[in-house]
Amino acid sequence: MRPYVGAEVALLATAAALVAGVYLVAVLDRFAAALVAGAVGSWRRLLVVPLAAAAALLVQQRRTTERPDGAGWAVAPALFFGLAAFALALVPLGPDLVIADPSTGFVAFSAAIAFVMIAVFLHGWSPNSPFALHGAYRYGAAALSFQIPFLLAMLATALPAESLSIVDIVRAQEPAWNVLRQPLGLPLYLVVGVGVSFWGPLNLSDASDVAGGTSVEDSGVARLLWTIARSAMLVAVAAMGAAGFLGGWWGPILPGPAWMIAKTGAVLLAILAAGHLLARVRIATFVLVAWAVLIPLALLNVFVSGAILL
Amino acid sequence: MGLTALLARVATGAPVPVFAVAGPGTRSLIRDLRLRPEIRLVDTPRPASVLLVGGLVPAEMEMAVARVHDAMAHPRATVLWSAGAAGLGRPEGFDDAIPVDGDPVAACVAAYRDILVGRRGSEPPILPDVDPAPWRGVGPYGQGGSGMTGGVPYGRPMAELGPDPDGLRLDVLPVAVGPLFPRFPAGLVVDARLAGDLVLEVEVANLLANATAAAPSPEADPFLRALGERVAIADLELARARAHLRSVAEALLAAGLEALALRALRIAANLRAGDGALVRRLATIISATQVLRWSLRGVGAVPPEAVAGLGAGPVARASGLREDLRLEDPAYRDLGFAPLVDAGGDAAARLRLRLGEAVQSLDLAARAGARAATATGRVETPRGRLEAESSASERLFTVLPSLLREHEWGDVVATIVSLDLDLEEGPLARGRARPEAAA
Repeated sequence: MRPYVGAEVALLATAAALVAGVYLVAVLDRFAAALVAGAVGSWRRLLVVPLAAAAALLVQQRRTTERPDGAGWAVAPALFFGLAAFALALVPLGPDLVIADPSTGFVAFSAAIAFVMIAVFLHGWSPNSPFALHGAYRYGAAALSFQIPFLLAMLATALPAESLSIVDIVRAQEPAWNVLRQPLGLPLYLVVGVGVSFWGPLNLSDASDVAGGTSVEDSGVARLLWTIARSAMLVAVAAMGAAGFLGGWWGPILPGPAWMIAKTGAVLLAILAAGHLLARVRIATFVLVAWAVLIPLALLNVFVSGAILL
Repeated sequence: MGLTALLARVATGAPVPVFAVAGPGTRSLIRDLRLRPEIRLVDTPRPASVLLVGGLVPAEMEMAVARVHDAMAHPRATVLWSAGAAGLGRPEGFDDAIPVDGDPVAACVAAYRDILVGRRGSEPPILPDVDPAPWRGVGPYGQGGSGMTGGVPYGRPMAELGPDPDGLRLDVLPVAVGPLFPRFPAGLVVDARLAGDLVLEVEVANLLANATAAAPSPEADPFLRALGERVAIADLELARARAHLRSVAEALLAAGLEALALRALRIAANLRAGDGALVRRLATIISATQVLRWSLRGVGAVPPEAVAGLGAGPVARASGLREDLRLEDPAYRDLGFAPLVDAGGDAAARLRLRLGEAVQSLDLAARAGARAATATGRVETPRGRLEAESSASERLFTVLPSLLREHEWGDVVATIVSLDLDLEEGPLARGRARPEAAA
């Protein structure tokens, strides 16, 4: 019998993990930005400003536009956040410490990633605004290109485990982490993981050249929720990266969950730092690279991983 | 204390979300406000709480400022900043706005605190809050009805079918961007017909063309002074390096590298003649970000014949033209000046060239000693040839549509940013030539 926790525990644990994760993203992102900008302020400021900024959005009016799709606008961040929570609930902290470990965990995670496109497109469609819709279509174009290599990179991790369960995938990394067995896997996964949460170099849909894209019309609590949902998805992507490629709970001396949290934090920091150190790609270039380079590399990764097992 | 009051108290610790409008003469002052941690310049008016208007906004832009004001969420306030001699404008309807001569950031912070804790009421809309025309849609979601497709019915741009370069007939949407789009210079309006993210046809307008403007202070712009008097080469070249670094910062912002843009702005703000190594290090980091490769390579190609003779400064030199007024100046010849030229012709070449020229200018500034540039009534500014009657950016306007047509919107933005258009240079030069007009 695979472990499943009760609904109340699941809700509380996921909520706690996401609150901590989203706050960690806000602090780490500011820290990375300050390092790159060459002016790190006080630690107190680094820790307090994200909370103050959230409070500022909470007391701000939520503006609407002429003839918006009000329901869609309200649902989009909720759907995005829900998908992040769903994806995170599949990631094990330890061999017996997981909210849900279905035998098809990998498929469930992939489904959540695929649905992100619906949330982002809805968010850009609903305000009835040109730049928002522009951002929505950009995400559609990019997502179609990066979801295939994303799934192929993840799929290769299921081969040595001979299972689609995330717990089995981590357990199978005891002799060697997947980052060593499949050196192409983690880079591929990270490239497209950044794309899924449209962060840094792959922030095409909410980019500065469309004045914020899908979130151009957001103010107040709507903007806060969208920011939280994006950060939550980033946490889920980082956690699954740590589980799928960096050996999850395996590690010396420290207890398993501590390793898992440390690895997730390291992946997060790498993604956030890359966001401030890598320029945004042109969408045409990215789509071309995704189809001509990333998909063939991901296929190669699957074939080589399979051949080694044979 | 209620929850809302508590949240408002906590919110006063957040950087003030400011939407800034740079009136003529305040362009670089407003851009440098990004370095102030007390405020955060936002790209869209929706989440802004304070509207900051620098200098005298020309009448042609007042409607845009009012619309931005009304798009802001409540609670909101407006700060009007005179920025020294640039002047204090009070656009029509801004009766509640807070005028300030000194530090605009302190005024923004104070205004934000006041509207949060209720010491000051949120500003009401300036324009009448009514639909541009009655909505005639009939369906459950307001869709359908007669006369609601194509063109701009009742003030609302609607898509209509049009040919696209692939020979298909797709939806074409007219979208006017500017004059306050944060990636463009203030006053630039790009009226594009978009098919998806492709700009099919484009018209550009310069709302600052007839503005009257005064520089914030006589010392602010050595290039303006150099139109009529001998100015030390050390001052001119330091100002050039600073302007190039600010332009580089704008390019980094457009490429999504805000933190690195702040680093460039900070170097520019504290720049000294001996800082060449600092700029070289910045250039190394910028190169590592791949902005010159996957963001800007091949973007915004400017053929040399399109800009030859326009005196377009770095834009011309990045397209392989050896155009530079400094070549004619004996004082510069004495320093052994030779212009940097890059044959690339694209946005990446222009960014590379500006970084190179910034280093070169610092070297010239360090070696110039007491030499002064010869006053000829024309001067090579960081944008190109400035005369009393026209600026390089104004002359580039004639070729701008041909550079933007049939490119993706993201490339259009990157191209305009890479041209470093400065629409206030012309009005400032004309205002200097005819002080009575600027007064």
